[in-house]
Amino acid sequence: MLEPVMFTGGVYKHDLVIELVEDLGGYLLQKNVTQSEVILLLLVPAEDLRILEDLTKELRGELTRAPLAGTEVAVVTPTLAIHHLPHTACDVAEYLRRNGAKSNMIGLARGVGREIAQINEYETALINEHDAAVFLFGNFARCIIKKEELYKGINIPVVVTGGPEIPKGEMPYAFEYVSSVGRIAHRSKKANEIGNLDRIIAAVGRALDKMRADIEKDPLTTSPPRVMDAVREQVPDIERSYSPLPIALNLTGCRIKLPYEEYHDAIGAVRFDEGVKLKEIARIIPSRMKSYTLVRILPESETGMVF
Amino acid sequence: MDPLEVYKVEAPGEEFGAAKYREIILDILQDLGLVRSIGRLYVYIDIEKPYFAVYGMLRGSLPPLRVGDVADVVRTQEGYQVKVNEEEHLADMLRVLWEKYGRDKVEQPDRDLLTISSDVSPADLIVTDVDAEFRRDLTDALIRIAPEGFRNRRNEMTENSFLFIASEETITPELIEEVREKIRGMENA
Repeated sequence: MLEPVMFTGGVYKHDLVIELVEDLGGYLLQKNVTQSEVILLLLVPAEDLRILEDLTKELRGELTRAPLAGTEVAVVTPTLAIHHLPHTACDVAEYLRRNGAKSNMIGLARGVGREIAQINEYETALINEHDAAVFLFGNFARCIIKKEELYKGINIPVVVTGGPEIPKGEMPYAFEYVSSVGRIAHRSKKANEIGNLDRIIAAVGRALDKMRADIEKDPLTTSPPRVMDAVREQVPDIERSYSPLPIALNLTGCRIKLPYEEYHDAIGAVRFDEGVKLKEIARIIPSRMKSYTLVRILPESETGMVF
Repeated sequence: MDPLEVYKVEAPGEEFGAAKYREIILDILQDLGLVRSIGRLYVYIDIEKPYFAVYGMLRGSLPPLRVGDVADVVRTQEGYQVKVNEEEHLADMLRVLWEKYGRDKVEQPDRDLLTISSDVSPADLIVTDVDAEFRRDLTDALIRIAPEGFRNRRNEMTENSFLFIASEETITPELIEEVREKIRGMENA
């Protein structure tokens, strides 16, 4: 069982942390260096967490649990106009990030209004590439209920946020509804506003747990971090990707930020110690996001093995 | 406490939305520094139709800003010397002076000093129309406040009041009449 944690500390000697995690059989998901501080997102075997905690103490760093690490969450607003951004959307996205998720902000082209709101096939497919989605709606109950049309066709769990209290029965397609958020024209700074953000994180956590439980019924052939590690080792061009996170993990695979056309053969040919190639245990498909490559690991029922 | 004399927001059936829009409107008006110029504000939101209406009374209009208000004008041998006191208006003032006297007659020997070779005093020239600027800002604020989906808008501005209506549907004369009726009801309540 791998435990997702976030290490925050000085740049000095932080490579000791990375080395230790690799020695323990864990994975480094993301490394952010901001001047003299470094933030590492790590997956560490739960039974060895103590060793990392000791090293962190020695380095005067801080180790926190990041329950959403290794997932991608979409934050969806009706449009990117000033009415919806920046306050609520940025607060939610930032809070997801702080809890370890990779959050992507998506503004729909025509998501506004009560009668005229719509979503197109491309937007739906793009949101479906994530592990969970948070839809940010406004302050009027009747509009929020009506806007169900926007997320009806989405396969991943959708957490809907809005202002008023609405009984769950009114929104059958939402995984959960978080009230008292809605449209606000200032940053979240009061205690109750921060509390609302925590409730959104908790709801997203439950949505991801449900996804994990669903996957557990027919386990994946291998784990996404393992694919990430193998790709990093065998496709050296990934180091030249300008994205801050060249490989973003999903629950069922990963998004590799290299052009699909040029690299899908190289990615498919990545070989594991067990002697199988990546293309034999996963689907390698073009992502809807830019020209990236998406890897979707096949479940045991299709490949007949788990390693 | 509200900085406005009278501030009412009504949205039948959507009490939470009404309370929340109260905050949003105040936040946006404060951001744009418009609160002090508005005396009374009535907001009526009907989410069934749907439409969003704002009626406001303004607190008297401001006179336009003249060169004499923001600078000291002194008569010299060659013409006039203008010493700029409020630098934020310098760009607007230069534009006005160039228009009036021509570029070759206006010189700027120092950062806050202008000389004009002409016998006509620039003291009464209008630098900016503060009132027109306020109205522009107010319209911008109203567009920001109204729900984004309500794209059919109508804005009536008079000397001391404004009526703004935004809707998803076509705005008909009947709808305008209905809005006026509701606002009158709120005023008399």
